[in-house]
Amino acid sequence: MTDRRRINGPSGGTRPPVFASSIKSTTTATERPQRQRQPNELRKIFLKTGLIPSASGSSYLEFEHSASLSAARALPKSLIPPSSSLKLACTVHGPKPLPRSATFSPNLVLTTHVKYAPFAARKRKGHIRDASERDLGVHLETALRGVIVAERWPKSGLDITITILEAEDDRWWGDAPDSHDAAWGMMNVLAGCITAASAAIADARIDCLDLVAGGVAAVVVDESVDGGEPSTPRLMLDTDPAEHRSLLSACVVAYMPARDEITELWLKGDNSKASVGTDDKSLSYETLIDGAVDAARGAHSVLAEAVRESAERLAGLETGYST
Amino acid sequence: MANSLPSLAIPGQRLGPAGDFSAGPGTHVHHSHIYASIAGPVFVDPTQQNATEKSIISVSRTQRIKSASTSAFVPSTLPTTALKSKPKYNTLPAVDSVVLARVTRVQKRQAAVSILVVLDEPSSTLGLNPSQPASDNDNIDSILSSAANPENHSSSDELRFQALIRKEDVRAVEKDRVVLDEMFRVGDIVRGTVISLGDQSFYYITTARNDLGVVMARSEAGNMMFPVSWKEMRDPVTGAAEQRKVARPF
Amino acid sequence: MASTATAPAPQPIPPSLSLPPSQFARLQPHAYLLAHLSPPASSQQPSIRANGRSPSQFRVTSANTGSLTHTNGSAVVRLGDTTAVCGVKAEILHTEDIASWSVSHSSSSSFASNKRRKLTNPTAKLGEDRTDSGDNESHIEDFSLLVPNLSLSTGCAPGLIPGAPPSALAQSMSHQILSLLHTSRLVRAEDLQIWYERPNFGPEEPEHHNESEQMDVDVEQEGSDEASIQTGEIKAFWVLYIDIMIISLAGNPFDAAWTAVLAALRDTKLPRAWWDVDNETVVCSDIVSEARKLSLWGLPIASSFGVFEADAAAGWRSVTIQDAEEERKLAEGDRKGIQRRWVLADPDGYEEGLSQERVCLVVDKPQGGDGKVFIVKMEKNGGFAVDRKELKELVDISTRRWEDINQILKQC
Repeated sequence: MTDRRRINGPSGGTRPPVFASSIKSTTTATERPQRQRQPNELRKIFLKTGLIPSASGSSYLEFEHSASLSAARALPKSLIPPSSSLKLACTVHGPKPLPRSATFSPNLVLTTHVKYAPFAARKRKGHIRDASERDLGVHLETALRGVIVAERWPKSGLDITITILEAEDDRWWGDAPDSHDAAWGMMNVLAGCITAASAAIADARIDCLDLVAGGVAAVVVDESVDGGEPSTPRLMLDTDPAEHRSLLSACVVAYMPARDEITELWLKGDNSKASVGTDDKSLSYETLIDGAVDAARGAHSVLAEAVRESAERLAGLETGYST
Repeated sequence: MANSLPSLAIPGQRLGPAGDFSAGPGTHVHHSHIYASIAGPVFVDPTQQNATEKSIISVSRTQRIKSASTSAFVPSTLPTTALKSKPKYNTLPAVDSVVLARVTRVQKRQAAVSILVVLDEPSSTLGLNPSQPASDNDNIDSILSSAANPENHSSSDELRFQALIRKEDVRAVEKDRVVLDEMFRVGDIVRGTVISLGDQSFYYITTARNDLGVVMARSEAGNMMFPVSWKEMRDPVTGAAEQRKVARPF
Repeated sequence: MASTATAPAPQPIPPSLSLPPSQFARLQPHAYLLAHLSPPASSQQPSIRANGRSPSQFRVTSANTGSLTHTNGSAVVRLGDTTAVCGVKAEILHTEDIASWSVSHSSSSSFASNKRRKLTNPTAKLGEDRTDSGDNESHIEDFSLLVPNLSLSTGCAPGLIPGAPPSALAQSMSHQILSLLHTSRLVRAEDLQIWYERPNFGPEEPEHHNESEQMDVDVEQEGSDEASIQTGEIKAFWVLYIDIMIISLAGNPFDAAWTAVLAALRDTKLPRAWWDVDNETVVCSDIVSEARKLSLWGLPIASSFGVFEADAAAGWRSVTIQDAEEERKLAEGDRKGIQRRWVLADPDGYEEGLSQERVCLVVDKPQGGDGKVFIVKMEKNGGFAVDRKELKELVDISTRRWEDINQILKQC
């Protein structure tokens, strides 16, 4: 249990703080945050490349705070944050020699690595990568592998490392831990990872077919306005899981707009409930995927702008130096 | 036609029909159109403007194109003839590229080197023109930030491409009388050209040309030596001479 | 051959090569830095580092706190191109989970009661010497209440493999931060205590009685009347997990990391917490106005330096201690205005690789200390260059650095 290479806490272990307001199940002192955006309205993305000079390419990505979070930050009342917004840093190292033990590869060998900072989530994360972090790494690799022109970089390797400083919530903190059955926040994280990695690869000047962007859509059920029966399932883009009563299904894609191609598709959840209640086709798998693609298109426009801006900066540098 | 080209492209941006242009570095072809594959300024190679050959579109990856001859370089005046050095497909060592490498091991049959710099121009006639952009992350800021942090010392060679100079590739004459100990010492900086991509771990390099060989070396006493002949260098402090396969100085 | 035997003046760059700066920097790092620091006298240029700084100049530093949602306190510190992100997350350690608690409990509770009384008079607190609270503070160390860990496995530099266990550098920095937290007594133990306020029924609880008996056995002569006043008991401690992610590494990670720790701890708020008898657990209030900030002792600020020697082979020869003759030559050189060594403040990655000798100073300038400067930590290793005189100069530079960082932290 003890990790000799790290400083360990008390040997008996520690417990996360329990708030009085969360154990009194009678009334919820704080309300579930409400989505203030239109169903097809995306959160703003802050994306900047080239901040880490020792890497061949790098990027930093941040999602806009949700309305409830920015309200809570402007006028803090409770120590419990209503939701959180993704913040991550991505570096690209390489192309560099493959390790001695590796076999000959005529192509670029891609390695991806996703790690949460211990303080990234509501619950403290360990220092060693867990299964979900490894899973994210694998999804990211498949999303990028089809995008990179690997044969231009024989016998060399490219390391992509993502550090997540703040993750998205899987559910609203006031809900019972098992009320949402899946790690929905992870899908938003993956979409952010794809967009950020794409920017960092472009920053490293590795040949790509297109700027691949990530997007998320989900079928959600909300409390109806009068607080009675839950509303009918609806499709929403770029969902923040904390803002919804439950997510029935969600989909994340890695999408290349120039070719209209999807390099990674991950669909989770159960759509059958949605189609039973409403027999319209608007909540089929296809519409869910289309929604995710639309979200990815939105992310792509931010991505393209960030990459163009950094290329212009370099081109400006050229003229600046030569005259 | 060329006027419709953007001055700056990002990956996935369509540049022109493959029927009118051929795809150069930094681009790729998809559905008979040329697309950019990296972000950077767009160039059309005008040297091939005769009727049969198509102009080559390329996207430049060099970060700074600053050479004395291209002082008037402005991206908005593209396409331009200003770009003297050919853009490359990538920044890796390729066959015929000239490299500067540090000797890491000298054995009986071969010397192992670690490639420090890949020079863009494979042609030797220009020599080491300082105005040429070097390809490999040619950015002082990034070199200053990343070079040798204490922990990297031991592993820094693993981050560089490794190459071998076989005994028969050291020089063009008297190949069978080569004694590697008299050609290179560990720590020497050698200029060579890549002859093959080699196996999974090593490139192969030759120094069998007058302008190739040791360009910087320290003597046993630790002083920088200067070349006195094609096979000897001298320590300016002690006056002692040491044997090397010396590159012809310019 | 004989004609060339007359040695030309030694030049840092052999005549055979005129390299563009980037290649020169890569191939001959030592000569490159030396050429910048000692420009030819004819050029009239000042001695300046390859990065454009003067030897005693630090990089532009900025700090930003409180941006991470899921932390009790957080900070992002940029030191030039080196970036450190620090997040503090507080968790609760119940005393019943501390194996050694029952042993030390009785003796410590009397101290705790001392503390309680002192707390009622907060003004007296300010002037109090740090060493006063000795045994109480030892809780922090004994029960590992501060848990700093630094990670370099973030892709912050090439060669540091992500996912690998912490490298030697990361481990050593984690321990340096831990020991600096302990020796500087930055965090007060009483800020981390969670109390059970016993309803004041009087001292006749049997358990309590035992306690006072035990205490009588001890050397302490505080007596049983002390125990009867006692109305509280420590039931738990806050444990602060202080995690530092170096997001970008471009030299001098320690200064960046320590500044991030300082800024994050200054930003840290702990919720009001109490022992809930019914649930036998600690419960917190989420009301922001009830939470309180840590009250930190002082502001120890770190400054690191690297020593660059003009003699390229100094590294190989460092096994021999410089004799008087060599020292004399150096002094002579100094007189002639030829500098042979430079102490570089806040070295970047490139300079770090070229300096054998390092100095790290941590200084504090307490408020109300009449401008006195305290050296909290001094560490020097790897060479003979820095002597007493130079260390004194470095303390002066570190003091100026203290003022700068103090301003930066005040503004964030």
